[in-house]
Formats: sequence, C-alpha cells, structure tokens
Amino acid sequence: MGTFIERAKSTCALGGAIVTISSLPRAIPIVHASGGCATMLSGTYNQASGYRGSGYCSGQMTPTSNIVEKDIVFGGEERLEEQIHHTIKVIDGDLYFVVTGCQVEIIGDDAVGVTSRFKDSKYPVLAANTPGFLGDGFKGYDVVLSTLANEFIEPKAVKDEKTVNILGIMPGQDVFYRGNIRGIQSLLNKLGIKANTFFGDGETIEKIKNYGDAALTIVFSEKYGIDTAKAFEEKHNIPYITVDLPIGGTRTDAFLHKIGERLSVEPAIIEALIAEEKQYYYSYIERFLDIYGDIDLQRYAIVSSDSNYAFPLISYLADDLGWVPQLVVVNDVTDEFSQKKYEKKFGQLGSETKPKVIFEQHTGQLLNHIRQNWKVNNNDKYYDALSPAFLIGSSLEASTAQKIGASFLPVSFPVTNRAVLDRGYTGYRGGLTLAEDLISVLVSNR
Amino acid sequence: MSELTTGLTYDYLSAEAAPTREERIEATYAFGGSCTTLKHGMGQGCTKYNSRKFAQGGGCQLNLALGIVRTFQNSVTIIHGPLGCASNNLGVAGYSKTFRVLKQKQGTDNVWIHTNLDENDVIAGGIDKLRQAILYAEKEYRPDAIIIGNSCVPGIIGDDIDALIDELDGQISARVVPVHCEGFKSKFVATGYDSAYHGVLKKLVDPIKKQDRVNPDDIAYTTAEETERYINSKTVNLLNVGSTSYGDEFELSRLLKALGLTVRVLPLYASIDEISRISDAALNVSICATHDDYLIGHLKERFGTDYVIDTLPIGIKNTNQWLRVIARFFKLEDEVEKLIAIETAQLEEALVPFKKELQGKTVFVGGGETRIFTTAEFYQSLGMKILGLKPHNFDRFAVPMIDDIDDQEAVIDVAPGQPSEELIILNKLRPDLYVGHVGAPAWVTKLGIPNIPLFGQSLNYMGYSGAFELARKAVKSLKNTSFPKKIAANVPLPFRPEWYESNPFDNIKEAQQG
Repeated sequence: MGTFIERAKSTCALGGAIVTISSLPRAIPIVHASGGCATMLSGTYNQASGYRGSGYCSGQMTPTSNIVEKDIVFGGEERLEEQIHHTIKVIDGDLYFVVTGCQVEIIGDDAVGVTSRFKDSKYPVLAANTPGFLGDGFKGYDVVLSTLANEFIEPKAVKDEKTVNILGIMPGQDVFYRGNIRGIQSLLNKLGIKANTFFGDGETIEKIKNYGDAALTIVFSEKYGIDTAKAFEEKHNIPYITVDLPIGGTRTDAFLHKIGERLSVEPAIIEALIAEEKQYYYSYIERFLDIYGDIDLQRYAIVSSDSNYAFPLISYLADDLGWVPQLVVVNDVTDEFSQKKYEKKFGQLGSETKPKVIFEQHTGQLLNHIRQNWKVNNNDKYYDALSPAFLIGSSLEASTAQKIGASFLPVSFPVTNRAVLDRGYTGYRGGLTLAEDLISVLVSNR
Repeated sequence: MSELTTGLTYDYLSAEAAPTREERIEATYAFGGSCTTLKHGMGQGCTKYNSRKFAQGGGCQLNLALGIVRTFQNSVTIIHGPLGCASNNLGVAGYSKTFRVLKQKQGTDNVWIHTNLDENDVIAGGIDKLRQAILYAEKEYRPDAIIIGNSCVPGIIGDDIDALIDELDGQISARVVPVHCEGFKSKFVATGYDSAYHGVLKKLVDPIKKQDRVNPDDIAYTTAEETERYINSKTVNLLNVGSTSYGDEFELSRLLKALGLTVRVLPLYASIDEISRISDAALNVSICATHDDYLIGHLKERFGTDYVIDTLPIGIKNTNQWLRVIARFFKLEDEVEKLIAIETAQLEEALVPFKKELQGKTVFVGGGETRIFTTAEFYQSLGMKILGLKPHNFDRFAVPMIDDIDDQEAVIDVAPGQPSEELIILNKLRPDLYVGHVGAPAWVTKLGIPNIPLFGQSLNYMGYSGAFELARKAVKSLKNTSFPKKIAANVPLPFRPEWYESNPFDNIKEAQQG
C-alpha cells in the first residue's frame, strides 16, 4: 500500500516506459492516452535529466492517440488503430511500441489486442500496459524491457560464454546512463566480454533482437531491471546476478571480482586489469594531493538519492576519497525486508565511521533528518559543527545544502543545474570524473 | 468590456469545474490553410470539431493550470493522481526558484505532493490519501494555500475532492483550493487557465464592497476611506502570465506608471493575500485574452471591476493600441498620445540599424495565438515577410489579428505541437528565421533553420523595450547560422522520405456534422 509522496523523484510507469522506448535506437513510442501525457512525461526526463532532450522521437514528436472524453465513453481502440497505422506511414522507425495511460486502462481498452492486428506489418509493433497507477518510472522501464525479452528477442539455444546483458541502469532516471554504461562496457571489453546494453553506443534494434545469446545478465540494481532479468531467465534460460554500480576503485574491484568468478575469468586476468586501471587512476589522483592536503578537502559526506546510487556514491566518497560518511538518505526502498538488506551493504565500508542510513520517500524531509542526525547548536561557545560538509543528491537538495552550509553536487535524478552529455561515473575512470566534479565545486570560488 | 468577449458570460462558480473551451468558446485546434481560409472557416464555424489521423503529443491542461497556481507564494500544490501527472515539476523546480528571484520575490522552493494513486486506489478511491497529503502539507509547511490539481484518474473514478475540502473546512488554516484540470476533458490546453482561475475565484478571492467608479477629482480625501477610494480609482491590476518575464512586467508597469496609474502585477508569483484583494482596483488589464478572460470576466460580473482585454503589447503597433485602450478608460487620451510619441520616436531611431539587417528576410512564427500574431506583425513592421504561422489553437481572441498580416496567403497550421505538420511546411517554405514556442526549436534546428524562442523568462519581449530586444535577437541569430546547418547535416529528423513530399494538411480530418 503506497502513500502520498512529497516531491517524488520519479514519474509514473507510462513516463518510464516512454523514456525507455525513446532511448532505444530508432524505436518509436506510440502513447495511447490523453494528449498531454506523451509530451509532459517525456518532458520530465528530457529536461530534468541533465537536459537529455527529445532525441530522435520523443517530446512533442511523440505519436499519441490523443484520446478525449468521447473516447473514454465509447472506447479508444479504433482511434489507436488509426494512430498506429499512420505512425508507421509517417515516422521512420525500426520498432514501434504502444504504451498505455491511465484513462484507457480504466475503461478497459485492449491495446495489446489492437496491436496484434499489425503482426504482419513490415515493422515490428509491440504493446504493453503501462498506466501511471501501475507504479513509478522504473516500473515502466521493466515492463518495456521484459516485453522485449518475452516477445521480441529471439530465443537462442546456444549461448556465447563471453556475452552478457546489462540491466538496471535506466535512461533518464540515471542521468549519466550512457556514460555509466560505456564505463562498464569498456571494463568488460578489456576482459574480452561483449556487453549487450540496449541503450549504449552502437546498439541497433537488430542487435537487440539477438540478445538471447548472452550467458549472463548483470543487473546493476537490487530493484530495477529484476523483472526483465527474470524474463531473460525464464524465456531465454539466461541466469542473472545483481551488483552495485561500480563507481570508482573500490566498487569496481568488487564488481570485477564478482563477474570474474561468475564468468570463470582467470583471477590473474582480473588482477592484471585492476592493476592497470589502478595505476591509471592514481597517476591522476596524485595531481589532487597538493590541494587536497594544503586546504584540507576531507568533508563530512551526506548522500540523498535512489538506491542505485546511494551506496555506490557513499562508498566512493568514504573508501576512495577518504571523506567521512555521515548520513545516507535513500528515497526509493519502502518495504522493511529490502531496507534491512540494503542497510547491510554499508558494513562493507572501509571507514572507521559508518553512516546513519535512513529510508525516506519525502524529499522535503532531508533537512529534518540532518538536524536529527547531528547535535543542534544551542549557541554554545564551543560547538562541534557538521562542517565542512558536502551533500550529493539531486537538484531538489540544492536549498538544503545551502541551509546547512554544505557544498553540493547533484548526481542523482533530477539534475537541472548541470548539462550532461557523455559523462559517466563508473569504473576507475568514472571515479576520476567524479573526483574532478567534486573538487571543482570546492575550488570554484578561488 | 471588450468586443472580444461580447456575448460571453462568466457565472460558472456554482459548478464544480469550469466549462471546457470547447463548450465555452468557438475554437479550433486542427486547421490547415491560409489567413484567408482561416478567417472564412472561423466565420463558418466548421473548424470546431476537426481532428487528426496522425496525432502527436500536445499539452495537458493540468500542466497549464498548475503553471499558474504553483507560482503563488507560500503555497503547496497537491497533485491528486499517479506520480506521472505534473512530474515535469522536477524539471521546473530549479528555474522556478530563479524566476521568483528574478521577479524580486523570495527565492523559495516549489513544494508539491503527489497522492501517488495506485491500482488499489483506482478501485477503492484515493480520498484518504488526499486527506493525509493535505494534513501533511499543513503540518510541515504552514502554507497560506494548499492547491489541489485533480488528474484524470480521480476524474474518471469519481473521487469527490470538493466534499473532502468541505469536510476539512475550519480544521486547517490554509485555504484549500480545488482545481479540476483533468487532462482528458479538453483538447484545448487553455481550458487549464479557466480551471485554475475557477478554483482561485472560488476559494482565494475575497468579496469586496461594490464601489461605484469615481473620478479622482471628485474625491475630498478627508478620510482614510476617501484616500483609499482615490488610490483604488487609479489602481490597475496588470495580469501576468506564465510567459511574462520580469523585464516584460517592469516595462509594462513603467508605461502605465508614466500615465500616473498605480500598478499591481499579479496573480502569478503573488501572495495569497494580494490575490484575495485582487478586486481592489479600478481596472483589470489583460495582456493575453486567451489567458485571462475567464478571470476578469467573472470579476466584472461579480464585483463590477472593469477590464481591458484587447491585444498583446508586443511590437509598436500593438503596444500603442494596448496603451490607448487603457488610457481611454481613465480619460488620459492626451497623455497617452504624448507618451506614445516620445517612446516610438526613440524606438524607431534605435531600430534603424536592425531594419537594414532584417529587410526582406522571411520568418515563420509558431506558438500561442495572440503572441504569434503580434510577434509576426512586429517583424513585418521591420521589413520582414511573414511566410506562415502556427497557432496552438485558434479562437475569437485572435480573429481580429489575422488582418494585421500583409500577405493574406501566408500559411496557417492550427496545431498544438504536431511538429510533423509544421516541419514539412517549414521544409517547403524555408524561412530565414523561425520563432517558436518551447518544445519546437530543437526540431527546427534539425531542419537547418535558424531560430529564436517566442518567449523566455529572462528576456524582455513586451512593450517598447521588448520590441527592441526582439529585433536585436533576430539580428543576433542571423549573425551566425552555422549551428543549425551543422546539425541538419548530421542529425536526422524521424520522418519517412514520402512524408516530406506529402500535403501535411491531408492529416487533418474534417469535422463530421454534430
């Protein structure tokens, strides 16, 4: 049973579905809903995800049945059929994907049934039920990708031991998704492993059709992409593992060890790659040592983000950068069992101090949690302040950072005060990028 | 009163929701032709129920309604719906704060809450969640107003939010405002303005003592009451809209103040207290008929507050016209002519170098109906040729503006969004410059056509200073056109080759009878 949410950092299932489809190479979303849903929902990610933009065919370009009250009364199936027909005529795509909004689901339109009338079309047309009330944006991501796994990706009896599918990094919801995918892909490539990424560089619908030959699915999330991974497991006989997003050195080592073991890569090869990446990383980090030490850049670290980012980020700050992990507020883990499981991760941190971990859906409550987590200043002559502090969150946390006098970098969705293109934080190299961004904030007034 | 609103009535507050624009005003959102055929078509009323075979994302009235109310100071917005409705708040939150600062208000965060309706709520109703959300907003933020945007799901399943608001009446200190802006109800997003103002009029605007209009010279000023009457008799409400910048508001206020008037800019970004006293003025001045008629029409009927609803003060002709109508109301005809003479003389001189640059260049303008016609008229006055216009919708408020376009054969595509039609037209017309609404420029860039935004919160478009800025902006854009050329050569539009050859107006389905 859900609750109301103050400033939720997500959109609905339909919004997640639209951004997922429109991030696939030359895939065309067809939105069976009221006229505003398509533009407004894709607008959410196009703007709030570091200005990722409308891309090939989203935003105002998004085809939609644009149903109105009359269709709510009489049903909108005919209108949908007309829209699909004309979309294929006008828009040049390699895959068409019908997704549905609340209005048509409540009245019981059979969008999947209508779409099946196009099964003999020259172009693949898929459909899935994605009304907003089904859940948040991640739900839409999983519905779209599991539909691909179940209905579009061809079964392959023979698996390629050196091929993996990558899931859990959702376009838009992960502001740095393309850069993050690229970072992971390049690590895997160095081990001779090919990664099927759905959204990464060089993908095509034709390639996606052949994802059934992977030997393993790696889900970079405990929560998102799991439904799709299960679809790959059941339909394509591909097992899956979950790993944390490998941001920086410590988490990348853990990632490489885990998949090395799982894919039976010789330990020596893994160690050699780690050594190579480490050498590269520290040859650059060395440059920061003067400024880090001269003006003391160690910070109290506070992270407020979704579960994909919360632990990997604080791990980077604590384990790699040596900051004091003070408080982690996780916005999207709601059931007690998952919360307990997630909290256990923080025991792995190498720092003497472990952070307080709080699960909180209401964005506006962050300031209260910070105040409760640190002794209040009662105008004491000697007060041990939460300072110097650094807050990593989303753009919504900007004013909280200001109120507590903390430096601030938005990393998790939504991000509206940074422009993001091919930046990514995964791998050792992503760790360098993150260090660069963090330290740049700290020296920006010099 | 105004010719634009002749025959319209505004007594709707006893109903839960405002009527849709479909019901209230003769309007079209699907029409293809020219100035001439549009004028003829509107006269025949045959454009009203047109629709499209291939439709693309338009707007949602919820979004436009919330665009008004979320700017109110110290308010919390509750979206009664799933997480997607108005989730673009996430993109808006950052710059909203900046806009408050730009408008010299406190730089506070927007606060919004989703009732987060799920599958259970679709069956059982979501009123309990809404009650909890209202109580949370009251407890955590102590707002002056809690404004509820009702989305499609509760609209279809029949959640009675008004009954809940009645139930909570007296229990909380904030004023709770219902805004019925269910997206599926109307294809005209401008209905969202009416939906927002319906709630505002119902719950935020306090009744005032009906006052007869007074001539300032007839007042004795011996008592505080008399003085107040005097001030009110010279006070105008300058009604801002989501697309007016502080620069616009500053410029228009400057001109009205030059006529000796007292100017209050509201209701956007105003405090609830200011909004509640909106009727304490001699005149409501609209700068966008599409935006305001429901609000000021009602205020006139209920409190007798007169209004000016005429043109949008963009460009010289329309700024002059707008000022003259206001001045006539206050019997300041001589003063306004002096002001216009000084202002236009200074501006005309400043525009000379820009006119040289823009002479003979062609332009296409897309966006809100009144803004695009006035913007086009201004560029035309600089010597540019109007190749076409694309209003989101078209209704009585813009009909008089058609005549301002010199070339009556200029293309008209009435479409909310619908870039597939506009881009094919632009590809054929190939204007030197495109001026367009948010959401359109990226696609036009892919076509290789230089473009500038139709409005912007950090820029000035209105009044004389705005005219200067518009000219300056167009000239700047044409000083280097490399970017759209490079983009067009490297980033494709998603259309099939055949579509470029087709007549995009074949996409519009003529209305069937009834």
